[in-house]
Amino acid sequence: MNPTEPRVAGVPRVPAIPPWAAGVADGLWDAGCRDVVYVPDNPLSHILAALERDHPGVRTVLATREEEATGIAAGLYLGGARPALLMQSSGLGNTLNAVGSLLLAFQIPVLMVVSMRGDAGEWNSAQVPMGRAVRPVLDALGVSHLSVDRGDEARDAIVSLAQLAFGTRLPTACLLPRRLTSPAGGGRS
Amino acid sequence: MTRFEAIDLTRRTLTDEPVIVNLGHAAYELFAGGDRPLNFYTWGSMGLTSSIALGLALARPDRRVVALDGDGSLLMNLGSLATIAACAPTHLLLVVLDNGQYGTTGGQPTPTSSDADLEACARAMGVRQTATVRNAEQLERALEESRASAGPWVVVAKVDESAPTVKPPLDCVYIKQRFMAALGEGSGSRTP
Repeated sequence: MNPTEPRVAGVPRVPAIPPWAAGVADGLWDAGCRDVVYVPDNPLSHILAALERDHPGVRTVLATREEEATGIAAGLYLGGARPALLMQSSGLGNTLNAVGSLLLAFQIPVLMVVSMRGDAGEWNSAQVPMGRAVRPVLDALGVSHLSVDRGDEARDAIVSLAQLAFGTRLPTACLLPRRLTSPAGGGRS
Repeated sequence: MTRFEAIDLTRRTLTDEPVIVNLGHAAYELFAGGDRPLNFYTWGSMGLTSSIALGLALARPDRRVVALDGDGSLLMNLGSLATIAACAPTHLLLVVLDNGQYGTTGGQPTPTSSDADLEACARAMGVRQTATVRNAEQLERALEESRASAGPWVVVAKVDESAPTVKPPLDCVYIKQRFMAALGEGSGSRTP
């Protein structure tokens, strides 16, 4: 995790919550997600801040790895929750066997919210291969996904993917591209 | 103590606790001892038994949750011990059936057959209630303690490999549906 903004001594960093992040948080709330399991990423911290500010009734659980987070989310569902899983696209690679042999095999729905690396705006070549593979990998597994291109689409995207997930008992994925989360001229996240 | 004996002894102490059980031999032997809807048999996702149990414990603070994991599986997901310690569900018991080998894939040795110590791992990650047991009496005592005082508990049971003869149902969706129904969650998820 590299901070996007330099800290100034004595001045606490209080970034404004961007509209897309508030929209994702609103969508999670409106979709009935009260449990969010996550492995951190810079863009995701805006969603967590929005949840804390606007929807403190949502419980967040920090996991050490995305595969572990997938297991925790599955257990939450078995106990009656509607879990969301927040991770960077690199971490999606860490979840794949769990998505296949746990979520899909048992028909356990989890709403995945994936902050993208390796797409337009990327500066780190190590992020590109997995980033490029995100959609083909989700397609190969049969996980429905859509990408949020504008902040005002975020809430609806989350609510509709949650409906698809929890209504039909399948994992779904909402992709947050870098052009949304880290617009040109923004920091290196 | 064989793994079957450890599983059977643990199983006999249960009342209405949901059990998440690791894939392969552990699941086969839990089934062999006595099937029940509250057994969640995994068929894949090696390493995630303790994580599924943690998620269930977070969702259901009203139910004591038991996980039957293996040494090879937990070694794939040691971070889970840190998350369990951080979340600190007092009603979670993780039993690690430590036979020092990958029993289901042909008996290849795991690092616990040399110096790796999973109880020490749990303690190092912040789990305070832990035990390592080497026979039935010790396991019985540890299980009693895990009932009497707040967890999360990690009990490492040193066991010998045994030879399962039967397998649980292969229908994953059936396993899930009856598990959730037995927990009172119906076949869908709670809407707030």
